[in-house]
Amino acid sequence: MTFKNRRNFLKAGVLSSAVIIMSGCSVFGITTARDTIKVLENDLFPRAKELGINTADYISIILRHPRVTKEDKRFLKNGAKWLNETSVEMFKKQYTKLSSEKRHLVLKNVTQTKWGSSWCDTVLRYTFEAAFGDPIYGGNNKEAGWKWLAFEGGKPRPTKMYLGRGSYNV
Amino acid sequence: MYDVCIVGSGAGGSPIAYELANAGFKVVVLEKGELYDESTFNKDEIAVSRRDMFTPPLSEQKHIINEYSQSGKFTRYDGEKSGWNFWNGSLVGGSSNLMSGYFHRMKPNDFQLLSVYGEVKGANVVDWCISYDELEPYYEKVEQVIGVSGKIVEHDFQEPRSTPDLPFPMLETNGVTKWFDGACEELEFTPIPTPRAILSQNALGRNGCYYSNFCGSYGCASGAKGSARAALLQKCKAKVVTDAFVYKLDSKDGKVVRAHYYTKHRIPHVVNAKIFVLAAQAIESSRLLLNSKTKEFPNGLANSSGELGKNLIFSAGGSGSGRFIFEKLTKEQRQELMQPGLFFNRSLQDWYDYEDGCHIYKGGTIDFLFEHQNLISRVSRELYDDEGNLLWGEKLAEKIEKTLTTSRVLTFEVFNDWLPTDHCNVAVDEKESDKWGVPVGVINLNSHPQDLEVGEHLAKNAVKVLEEMGAVEIDYSISSSPPPNLVAGGCRFGNDPKTSVLDKNCKAHDLENLYVTDASFMPTGGSVPYTWTIYANSFRVADVIKKELLS
Repeated sequence: MTFKNRRNFLKAGVLSSAVIIMSGCSVFGITTARDTIKVLENDLFPRAKELGINTADYISIILRHPRVTKEDKRFLKNGAKWLNETSVEMFKKQYTKLSSEKRHLVLKNVTQTKWGSSWCDTVLRYTFEAAFGDPIYGGNNKEAGWKWLAFEGGKPRPTKMYLGRGSYNV
Repeated sequence: MYDVCIVGSGAGGSPIAYELANAGFKVVVLEKGELYDESTFNKDEIAVSRRDMFTPPLSEQKHIINEYSQSGKFTRYDGEKSGWNFWNGSLVGGSSNLMSGYFHRMKPNDFQLLSVYGEVKGANVVDWCISYDELEPYYEKVEQVIGVSGKIVEHDFQEPRSTPDLPFPMLETNGVTKWFDGACEELEFTPIPTPRAILSQNALGRNGCYYSNFCGSYGCASGAKGSARAALLQKCKAKVVTDAFVYKLDSKDGKVVRAHYYTKHRIPHVVNAKIFVLAAQAIESSRLLLNSKTKEFPNGLANSSGELGKNLIFSAGGSGSGRFIFEKLTKEQRQELMQPGLFFNRSLQDWYDYEDGCHIYKGGTIDFLFEHQNLISRVSRELYDDEGNLLWGEKLAEKIEKTLTTSRVLTFEVFNDWLPTDHCNVAVDEKESDKWGVPVGVINLNSHPQDLEVGEHLAKNAVKVLEEMGAVEIDYSISSSPPPNLVAGGCRFGNDPKTSVLDKNCKAHDLENLYVTDASFMPTGGSVPYTWTIYANSFRVADVIKKELLS
């Protein structure tokens, strides 16, 4: 990802949660929490994709949601940075550019650390929100997550997403 | 000018609105939250349980929490930074919209804890200034007006009733209740069908329960749940003003003269009335009075006794659970176990008091219920293996699938007295304020050691039932952690103005026209959830106010 000027860079930082990947004292590259987490979610919980559930876009809702605290959003971004820096340390590439075997090795490594375990726990909980929340949020396609677990969603179902401002809104 | 201005639209305020508006008086209810009703409630787990849509964001409104140890030292928590949330439900009808509606009356002995069970060292136990008999007609009124369903069975601690049974038949129950009843018979315990503030059939101009499987924490889309909104505010002509955060009461010559409120955009408003009723939930009611200082009341309105905010109590106890697994069940039993929607509805009160050594202890209530059906929460509980390692990949998926499709958890909740102590109270912070610039409430927390001992005693008996039923993975936790939805005290009622904030009619001793009718008045809490008692007491006070307005 390249930026023509500083303003665009900063704007991208807010909207797409850009994270700077360091290798030692040098800048290795730039990615986004969203892009990293999209790949990571499938590594942590591949069953969702097997069920035809797309959890990837949901994290964008979370990163913008006023009811998710700044600290939680910062943690999501920092975790993406740390995961990528571990990838660079282990295989000289950022996480999303590694083969699935190497990503697996990175995950085995980071989930043994306190931050890695805590961060993957957080990512998985949001993945579960996408996979097992109401389909209105864009995941849980055709209620596939519910059907897998023989679950009947409560009724009435929401007709709009709750995005945290005032009452229900789109 | 209004006849009555009520601050807060929950179980404490709405009976007053209902009774007085239906008697022809001009009533206004000021509610901080928004209006949701049967047409807008739904079962969106993400909105309700993950994003907490019915409570204020802690970044805008928080509490400061000081947690005291038995040695008197305390640890300070900033509600926003720690995520420690004491809000229950900011919406018309308050948290009664979100309750499960487990309704138990307090027992006659709960009204005379000091006289019957004696002093407890380190606890400020007193008798109530009214008796069970004085409140009984109002408990009965709640059964009729709010709607309580169930069936009365005789047992050692069944409280006296003016009618033989509850007015609405029992809700349908899951087949596993038969296993429970059988286990209790073996153990010589008495299973009680839990009375519920949920209509089992269409009545009172509301629809009956449709067994949505999502009751507690969620608003009811049929109107079956006896929320203050569905049962009372929608059945009267009181004016309800939403988006009205009352931050100060003005007083003059021994009377409250006006209430000041802000909208969420900080637009100020004023309401004048002849009588003011405060019912903003125990912590917030004390906070509002403490923030309404005057020259006459330099320590907070209605606080000449110095007792305002003191003796805050919660429900002590805790919870436990056991799991039923397919491997130990027949095909029929598996089907019964996994039947969705129907309630469990069983309680035990065999140890409402009990003898241990040469002392008789006040005990409590155990309610049994299935684990909440929130799917995201249940899946998230499978994230770790038995050694506490995070699972991911196929191992995680296998564990989720097996646990959720071939087993089900029965839980229990223990309710016993949270003894009032000197270090458990409400104050206001001198530095921290909310988004309107109003000083936030400080919650000083302390529990008495006896609370835990009694809770343990009750939980061990609950475990016996789960064992007898054949559950596995049985576990429980009794702690001094305060349940935010079961809070009372702070404005004790009593006959002596030097030791209580309110008189026996819940009117402030210091003021001619200020009543407090949420759970603040309670000097002790009994060993049951509070809502039925809050409703009943508010109906009682409504009769007092009605007489005053008519005189």
